[in-house]
Amino acid sequence: MKTLARARAPWKVIWLGILAALASAQERVLHVMVEDPLLAESWELLGTLSREFEARHGGVRVDLLSLGGAAGTMDRVKLLLAGDVPLDLTRIDITELAAYREANALVDLEPYFEGDSDWDPLEWFPICLDALRDERGHLYGLPQTFTPYVMYVNLTLLDSLGIERPAREWSWEEFHAICRQVTADTDGDGRTDRFGVSLTQWLQALAPWIWQAGGELLDRSGRVSRWNEPPVVEALTFLHTLLHEEGVASDDATFENQQRRGLFQSGRTAFYGPVGYWERFRLRAVREFEWDVLPLPRHRRAATAVAMSVYVVPRTARHPELAYAFLREVLGGLPYQTRMGAIGNGLPGLIEAAHSAAVRNPGVPPASFDVFFEVLGEARFLPTLANWRKIESLCQAELEGVLLSGDVAPEEAARRMAEKTDAYLDLERRREARPRLPGGVMSAAVALALLFAVGLYLTRRGPPPARAGRAEERAAGAFLSLWAVGFFAFLLGPAVVTLVLSFCEWSPLRPLSDMAYAGFDNYTRLWGDGTFHTSLVATTLYALLSVPLTLALALALALLLRATSSLSSAVRTAVYLPAILSPVIVAALWHVLLDDDGLINDLLALIGAGRPRWLEDPSWVVPAFVLMALWSVGTQMLVFLAGLSGLDPTLEEAARIDGAGPWRRFVHVILPQLTPVILFNGITGLIAAFQIFAQPYVMTQGGPGDSSRFLVLYLYESAFRHLEMGYASAIAWVLFLLLAILSFALLRSSRRWVHYASRSVGR
Amino acid sequence: MRRLVLLAVGLFYALPLLFMLEVSLQAEGRGLVDGPGVLLRDGAHFENYAAALGAMGGVPRLFANTLLLTVVSIAGQLLCCSLAGYAFARLEFRGREGLFLCVLATMLLPEQVSAIPRFLLFRWLGLVDTFAPLILPTVLGGAPFFVFLFRQAFLSLPPELSEAARIDGASEWKIYWRVCLPLVRPMLATVGVLTFLATWNDFWAPLLYLLSPDNRTLTLALAGFHQGYNTAVEHMMAATAVVIAPCLLVYFLTQRLFLGGIRTAASKH
Repeated sequence: MKTLARARAPWKVIWLGILAALASAQERVLHVMVEDPLLAESWELLGTLSREFEARHGGVRVDLLSLGGAAGTMDRVKLLLAGDVPLDLTRIDITELAAYREANALVDLEPYFEGDSDWDPLEWFPICLDALRDERGHLYGLPQTFTPYVMYVNLTLLDSLGIERPAREWSWEEFHAICRQVTADTDGDGRTDRFGVSLTQWLQALAPWIWQAGGELLDRSGRVSRWNEPPVVEALTFLHTLLHEEGVASDDATFENQQRRGLFQSGRTAFYGPVGYWERFRLRAVREFEWDVLPLPRHRRAATAVAMSVYVVPRTARHPELAYAFLREVLGGLPYQTRMGAIGNGLPGLIEAAHSAAVRNPGVPPASFDVFFEVLGEARFLPTLANWRKIESLCQAELEGVLLSGDVAPEEAARRMAEKTDAYLDLERRREARPRLPGGVMSAAVALALLFAVGLYLTRRGPPPARAGRAEERAAGAFLSLWAVGFFAFLLGPAVVTLVLSFCEWSPLRPLSDMAYAGFDNYTRLWGDGTFHTSLVATTLYALLSVPLTLALALALALLLRATSSLSSAVRTAVYLPAILSPVIVAALWHVLLDDDGLINDLLALIGAGRPRWLEDPSWVVPAFVLMALWSVGTQMLVFLAGLSGLDPTLEEAARIDGAGPWRRFVHVILPQLTPVILFNGITGLIAAFQIFAQPYVMTQGGPGDSSRFLVLYLYESAFRHLEMGYASAIAWVLFLLLAILSFALLRSSRRWVHYASRSVGR
Repeated sequence: MRRLVLLAVGLFYALPLLFMLEVSLQAEGRGLVDGPGVLLRDGAHFENYAAALGAMGGVPRLFANTLLLTVVSIAGQLLCCSLAGYAFARLEFRGREGLFLCVLATMLLPEQVSAIPRFLLFRWLGLVDTFAPLILPTVLGGAPFFVFLFRQAFLSLPPELSEAARIDGASEWKIYWRVCLPLVRPMLATVGVLTFLATWNDFWAPLLYLLSPDNRTLTLALAGFHQGYNTAVEHMMAATAVVIAPCLLVYFLTQRLFLGGIRTAASKH
């Protein structure tokens, strides 16, 4: 009842009332967000185990939700918690644990573990549990699966080349030598098609090299980076040599597209790594060659990284005690843990499950299964920092310059990584010292804006109408009311609040009362933010290229297709169809088309052109998106067609009689009449171009480097991945101002070039 | 020559879709290295489709969700925007011009500018992870562009129409509903079609609000499937083909409506 009384809005009281009534009338529902739905067998098992759990705990219903296995899943849990959606238990990635813990978004499970007589921490891998503890030693959850990073090896390939299989303790030099021996152009077409190693390149896979060289990512305090030290440069230089100077490593194994090409899978690389246990699942279909795993080659010391998924209880849990019971009995139980390991996506955290015959599965590679356990002594997690994902994203952008495109010197990248990381850590420290925004400021701002709008209307609306007009005015009010509510609540009101938010700093995982006042800091930060600069330049470049090109192409197509014949009508359909497809579909499709070996490059090869690495080369990625925009010009073409059909035919006829050729007729007769349509297409195209989001989100996640981190993508990431709502609001306002200025400039200039003839289309 | 150019253009635009079909039918795990022609050698593998749908999970549910959202959005958008457009076009009230200018100006306001406070609003209402955050803004607010389109359509009707009805004693609602609305049917079709495309293809709002798997839409599921760590390229293309199919079906069934709709919108700006 207390919560009901404290709720601020009548709406919320009603809402909570309904929920409370429902909850008391029905059983307790436990919302559990679990792993990948791809794994049908684990899903079934989980269903059975949940039914058993329900039978043991009367009046409980378990609602299993699948999280999905995609890159965006980490964001989804954040959105659920930020959106205050009740969730009792959820899977998260260990690299995000600190972010949740720092925002106080997780339930400290220590009291539950202490009160649990059956709990024996020794049943679990110590390295896993340690990562789940805070500095006081309190435990926040249990592992689902984990894996150290190892190296996969194609034994058949090594044997066929007469290369001796490396020992378990092998060095960078041996690794390097084998890579050189394997690399070859087997079909003599001038392109290497057999590589030493398919090298993975995300930060977690890269950290082992740095550690082996004797380096560290951050210093002990977690306040200063150590990127700019010789071991880091040495590791980066080594990888850069493999990838670019000698070309003995292939770069197909980036985080985004490791599944698309898979050179190791097709038997064309000797090594693949550093990667985790999950590859066993992907390689299950390989019959053509024998493969195994090895510890990573070592340098000054042996080291490897660990990845882990864990189950935690969020603050929004309605039934934390039941969630704990479910965690212990089902998710931490032997059957589930064993099944997870047997599927092959990761090793179970429960020791007994990890060593079970079902997981070991002797008939199935790798023969050296024990390597995964042997390397645990040298395995480490990435640093635990609340803002780690932001730092990861900052560094990843630099790393791609060294590893993927290869045109940035390792020293240069290391220096910039250190700079960016330190600047961000600095920002974090300043953040702690900020004053809280007094409560009510936000509401006051909204009220003020509303008052201002009403005042403006009342003073500017003019004299009252005559008696007869009053009824009409009332009717107008009624007609507009529905729309006006939405207009102010969802469009104009929020835009004003965004402006206020851009002067604040706040993470949506925290309550509203934790909002801090930041002054102009968000804007000054934008000014000095290299990522934002790149983003702004990329977005502007995309708009400058795509808008005129799509306009020209759409107009050309419209002219070509305006005749009425069955062929041109069929072609019209073919041209228009892509325009009705969702950007997500277009992105999914073009991601494959633009692959190194995709259709576009095959076509380019036919005409003897080069094979651009569209999505891996920073200078080709924006043109790649422009190409996609050109494929989706159908709507603009239709608008031009409509414009063309509205032209005055007598003018063209007159020009023809006067002896004007097709080009002259186009320039002097058709084009002037079409200028209003061009203006319309130009402005709508401009707005759409600046809002490009789904394509980079699906295809590149902003990479390589920051070269496709367009403004809206950066806004989304800032707000909902790095949880910087204030900063994201500042980006939103810059975006709006930019668009407003450009549109006004275009409209202004249109007075000089747009002709509204008597019979032209338009008003 | 002209026919040749036409054919080349048509082929260029159709090729990506044909390529998608080809990859979706090749044997799993081949990747793209083999190039075209692999179908002829290996034969078509239709089982990719079953596997892809199974892996994406709950496809009927995804369809149902997307359809529900689309239908409700279209109905709401048509009612709300036509009412507003009617008021702006055919009813006299104080401040009409100023307010309408305001509507026009918001056409330049990107959705993302209001996204964050909107999220806070729906969180406060406890509506995150429901369909409400997707439906309410379209049903209540409506796109300014559509209000504008309806205003243009209603303006083109002769004023005598309403006057005659008024003399007959019809209420404003009746004039709108019985007299004027039936006369702007083409515009209803236009806005309906544009709303269909916008809702069916939307990605931003579902990404922010539809978080539980049972609430996902087709595009959201496809994006997730595409980024999955274990998705084979053949399955990805098969899933893409399946998601494209209903769009094409709707397009071919309502081609006239579609093309007419876009054309009306284009000639009214």
